[in-house]
Amino acid sequence: MIRTQGLRKVYRMGNVEVRALDGVDIEIGKGEFVGIMGPSGSGKSTLLHMLGLLDTPTGGDIFIDGTDVSRLTDYEKTMFRLYKLGYVFQDYALVPELTVMENVALPAMLRADRTEQQYKAATVDILSKIGLCDRRTHLQGELSGGQQQRVAVARAIVNKPDILFADEPCANLDTENSRMVLNLFKEINREMQQTIVMVSHEEWHKEYFDRIIRLRDGKIVNGEK
Amino acid sequence: MGKKELKVAFFLAWRSLVRGNRSSLFLNVLIISMVFTNMIFFPALMNGIGQDVTKTVVDYQISNILIEPKQGNAYITDLGTTLDLINGMPGVERATPQYTMGATLKFRGRVLGSTVYAIQPREEEYVSPLYMTMVGGSYLGENDKGEMIIGASVAGSPNVLEADEYSPSLGGVRVGDSVTVEYANGFTSDYRVKGIFSTGKFEVDDRVLTSWDDMQGVTGTAGDKASYITVKVKPGYSDQFVKDELLQYGVMDKVQTSSEVLDKSLGRNLASFSIIGFISLLVSLVIAVVVLFIVIMIKTLNNRRQIGILKAIGVDQTVIMNSYGFQVIILSATGILLGFVFTGLLVLYMTIYPMVTPTFSATPYVTFSDLATNGLILFIASVIAGYLPAWKVARENIQDVMRG
Ligand SMILES: Nc1ncnc2c1ncn2[C@@H]1O[C@H](COP(=O)(O)OP(=O)(O)OP(=O)(O)O)[C@@H](O)[C@H]1O
Ligand SMILES: [Mg+2]
Repeated sequence: MIRTQGLRKVYRMGNVEVRALDGVDIEIGKGEFVGIMGPSGSGKSTLLHMLGLLDTPTGGDIFIDGTDVSRLTDYEKTMFRLYKLGYVFQDYALVPELTVMENVALPAMLRADRTEQQYKAATVDILSKIGLCDRRTHLQGELSGGQQQRVAVARAIVNKPDILFADEPCANLDTENSRMVLNLFKEINREMQQTIVMVSHEEWHKEYFDRIIRLRDGKIVNGEK
Repeated sequence: MGKKELKVAFFLAWRSLVRGNRSSLFLNVLIISMVFTNMIFFPALMNGIGQDVTKTVVDYQISNILIEPKQGNAYITDLGTTLDLINGMPGVERATPQYTMGATLKFRGRVLGSTVYAIQPREEEYVSPLYMTMVGGSYLGENDKGEMIIGASVAGSPNVLEADEYSPSLGGVRVGDSVTVEYANGFTSDYRVKGIFSTGKFEVDDRVLTSWDDMQGVTGTAGDKASYITVKVKPGYSDQFVKDELLQYGVMDKVQTSSEVLDKSLGRNLASFSIIGFISLLVSLVIAVVVLFIVIMIKTLNNRRQIGILKAIGVDQTVIMNSYGFQVIILSATGILLGFVFTGLLVLYMTIYPMVTPTFSATPYVTFSDLATNGLILFIASVIAGYLPAWKVARENIQDVMRG
């Protein structure tokens, strides 16, 4: 599903070079729930952004589903993200002026292959799954952090993406809410064979992952499990 | 940009406006409406003044066409034949002559320099509505001798001190009073004031009128000459058409249409009015553009991270840009509509309570094309001002905008 070869990302700040990623080779299969772990500054977010086409690498190749994504134009990348990828961010990143329902439906509204009935049905479907159907007309400001993050997850999977990316989705949540989100991930991973790549630095999250990619100073340390 | 994309852009714009900050929304709309009102109102007022001045000049002073003696002559001679010729032409409603002579008026110790206009009273009624503006006594009769009608500013009021008068007067002449007139040619006579007229326009109300017959007694001639002739054009004919006709028929005197006369006398004023109007328009536009630019810029800067998120989840940058564009479109369209309402109310108010001065009464004159053109200019300027910052942020790199 995802394969990288010699992936590198160098940030240049004046004369200082930061090698955020320094030759990363990984392979992630379909239906895997992979955790990316490592100390702060080790390049976890950077790797996720490269894989999720949110940033361009300095060197190396990324293949997703056989597509060499470095060859895509900006517009094609946007469409690739819309049709194949889903994202959950640390700070939920919902649109505050939209209701729960509208936030979740937004990516589906743009898809050429979805009718209004289809995306509305899909949205209600997912909201029932995450247990927030009765909150569908609420705005972001009226939800708890855990609820907001579940809405963000719903938005990420409403289009049934090939891969779901999550960058520390539990960082702002207490243990109880973290477990709720992680259980939700596990559930969709099992039931829908959803491929999930998630960054975390909480060791106890390990139990949810099928496999862990450990980074240190932009390099892979080892692959566990 | 497909239909779906536009729909989503509009959806995002609408939600952001309706669920965003109400008071800032209201203020934005208000500013645009004020700018629009300002763009329309001043030029409309100038236009209204221009129209009013034109109407005064045409109605009471020169009618549609003014014929003056040819170069080097003080009078139009051979008047009878000339009038017959003109009155027989197609498109001419009526031509009437006027004969003017400088005079000094004396009344109970007041002395006033003035000009006496001799008219043919019955004929004049076809050309000028002055006969309908009598506020005391009655209009001149065809054979009145030793009688005159005077404007309200000449008559004056006994209640106003001489020092406070807008223009010098005889200090309160009433109908039936006797005024001594010393003509420039030395002829002196007492006149009974037969009537007083008031048009509200200073340039008309400072006139003194006598009959054609009376003036013959003053000049001692047969009255076959005039200082000038005014020609009223029939409805449906243009002033220019009649002027050309007059020249073709061999009228040798100086022929000018009312707009030619006005261009010369008012042209300079109107030109400076239009410069002021243009500057005010420009300032209004700059205000609107700057306000919208800043509003959208602040919006996009505040929402940078959100813009990054939207791009990340697959919302194309054109959709994002258009969502801000739609916000500006909605803001400025609403503002312009509200401006229509404000302008309408102002015009209504000033029609009921016009700004009256001795030389003009100003009612703003708004044409639909003024509204349309200014609305369009403001709209286009606003949309550009709004799109610019949106376009700038929307096309930035996701990583750059997400970091805030
Ligand atoms: N835009 C940037 N400009 C310069 N350096 C950057 C930039 N983004 C990341 N870095 C550097 O790259 C390295 C990796 O950063 P990254 O955000 O991937 O770490 P991380 O593993 O996600 O850390 P954390 O657990 O704190 O989120 C760090 O040294 C960071 O300072
Ligand atoms: Mg990180």
